[in-house]
Amino acid sequence: MSGSYDRALTVFSPDGHLFQVEYAMEAVRKGTCAVGVRGKDVVVLGVERKTALKLQEPRTVRKINMLDEHVYMAFAGLTADARVLINKARIECQSHRLTVEDPVSIEYITRYIAGVQQKYTQSGGRRPFGVSSLLVGFDIDRTPKLYQTDPSGIYYAWKANAIGRNAKIVREFLEKNHQDDMNKDESVKLTVKALLEVVQTGAKNIEVVVMTADQGAKYLAQEDIAGIVGDIEKEKEIEAEKKKKKPLTRSS
Amino acid sequence: MECLLGLVGKDFAITVTDTSVIRSITVLKHNENKSRELNPHTLLAFCGEPGDTINFAEFIQKNIKLYGIRNNVELSPHAAANFTRRELAQALRSRSSYQTNMLVAGYDAQKGPSLFWIDYLAALVEVPFAAHGYCAYYCLSIMDRYYRKDMDLEEAKDVIRKCIDELQHRFIINLPRFVIQVVDKDGIREIQL
Amino acid sequence: MLSDIVAQYTQDSTSYHGDLAFSSSNAWQGDVAKQFGQLSFDLPNTGNPAEFLHQYTDVKSDHDALIKLAHGTTTLAFKYADGVVIATDSRATQGSVIASQSVKKIIEINPYLLGTMAGGAADCAFWERELGRRCRLYELRNKERISVAAASKLLGNMVYSYKGMGLSMGTMVSGWDKTGPNLYYVDNDGTRLKGNLFSVGSGSPFAYGVLDRGYDHELQKEDALELGKRSIYHATHRDAFSGGYVRLFHMNEDGWEFISLTDMDDLHWKYTGDAAVTAS
Repeated sequence: MSGSYDRALTVFSPDGHLFQVEYAMEAVRKGTCAVGVRGKDVVVLGVERKTALKLQEPRTVRKINMLDEHVYMAFAGLTADARVLINKARIECQSHRLTVEDPVSIEYITRYIAGVQQKYTQSGGRRPFGVSSLLVGFDIDRTPKLYQTDPSGIYYAWKANAIGRNAKIVREFLEKNHQDDMNKDESVKLTVKALLEVVQTGAKNIEVVVMTADQGAKYLAQEDIAGIVGDIEKEKEIEAEKKKKKPLTRSS
Repeated sequence: MECLLGLVGKDFAITVTDTSVIRSITVLKHNENKSRELNPHTLLAFCGEPGDTINFAEFIQKNIKLYGIRNNVELSPHAAANFTRRELAQALRSRSSYQTNMLVAGYDAQKGPSLFWIDYLAALVEVPFAAHGYCAYYCLSIMDRYYRKDMDLEEAKDVIRKCIDELQHRFIINLPRFVIQVVDKDGIREIQL
Repeated sequence: MLSDIVAQYTQDSTSYHGDLAFSSSNAWQGDVAKQFGQLSFDLPNTGNPAEFLHQYTDVKSDHDALIKLAHGTTTLAFKYADGVVIATDSRATQGSVIASQSVKKIIEINPYLLGTMAGGAADCAFWERELGRRCRLYELRNKERISVAAASKLLGNMVYSYKGMGLSMGTMVSGWDKTGPNLYYVDNDGTRLKGNLFSVGSGSPFAYGVLDRGYDHELQKEDALELGKRSIYHATHRDAFSGGYVRLFHMNEDGWEFISLTDMDDLHWKYTGDAAVTAS
């Protein structure tokens, strides 16, 4: 189908596709799910984490990374590729502070990352990053921001979005349930709820970072996430019971 | 003409920097902070050629910050001081050299407080107390006389008070204000005498 | 080990800037650093171009050198409750000669940024024009105006990379950004200071005298402007290298505003008239 147009990266197929870039996006779709939600003055990142093996040191697996104090990044796709991207972005954050004193704006660092990703789709001897990223943070004027990049080098701003496995399902869930003026707890809950749409194993496979302008970023503790998951499950049960009862009342 | 002092107490290190920026006969600014936080437990205080000092200090600061972000662990004061020295030494042997004298004060959870003296030729020494610039002439002898190991904060403040009083008594340059910063297990904070 | 890490993003200075690479900030490989990378001027082909240029540049007008600079100036700027007042004289001198009485020493970098000119007129004009270009690029790239902190830092970095080569520039960059009014002093040493009140140039001690005594953060706009004007006038009265006209600008949240250009002669008779009235 793709003929030989997926051998050399920089070659278009006759119908205008860059297959390598599209395969990279496929790698993203196979990656673990990441969700970002922007509330009123809060942003939340949540990711699905693979279960650590029994003898593995779980601290070495981080899917949400700090780029600078006010920017965090989650990704879906190839972890090894993401690490390279993260490293470059971290340097750029400090370099930006050094050359213009101000910290990077979230859009700036997103554009930088997207720029790096784009470069790898247009020069020889390279392959694209198999990574999509979600960036959250606060600009200097204390507004929360959420951005996404993809392997082709495009970037977008979002109110809420998901990348990775089953992203479409999660995005549809977010579209139904997102509100602009959510507070911190509501935003966290929506994030976890969205993840639970696709994460079967529950709290122990979820990692969440919450950011506010005043307190900066915080990784939620495992117990806190378990608590939220518990609440959500309880709500679901009550709702399910209501549904069961409804036809009864009608028939009586 | 700048004043830069430091000393190590029982469980803390202190730096003292003047706050005047002097160009020819004019004091351009009275409240300049001549130090940078390298990480939560390491402080870099500097004096020397205008322009060079801040450029070099911020270069070091951003690098050490980057190290912390990348590795999820902060450099110890000892490592930070040696890194600073090495960067300065390398710059000294290139076209772009810096004329910057520095003190690195820090607190290490295992090894306790420490103070490092670095001059513009990139010599590095760990010391119990130190001074840079003209004020060294007045203050080193005071600290030789009154410094003791394991001083608590009040005793240390007393020695610093002696130094500042002497500077304001004898030194030709008027240095009305100083920033005094303490590094201990809780991090870096500014104190009043 | 650490140096390996550093080597990843610092670089061999000769490979990137040719003969030029002075500050570490320029050696960073980062995108911003590259975007704002320096212009590369041709430099004297000697072992140490900085020293060579320094030798032949007459920065302070106090000895005979081949490259003479036009200077002698009084400039001032101060922040107060309602914004920033910027005032300058308009005289340029070369040695004992008045080269011009109508120099524009306030440079409009963009509608929200002003720079002042002291030291070498050409250096100030050139580098602040270059700063304007970079600020515009920043604005186009980032969809927002550059902060005063960033703009002054860019200027500082640019001149710092030519440190010791005879640049002569003492400038105050003032403006209004998201954080409100801001004022920075930047000079050819690479010094960059944030402050409330600065005066630069040969007449600055005289200006400081009047300015410091009359300064109050809570001044009314009218009084603040008058203080700026008066300080320049008194400086030009005592400093032989300052004179001409007082050029007065004001900065508020809508950007800068040109206030007045006043002949020093008129001011003199006005003020001495005042003094005569109060004395009698």
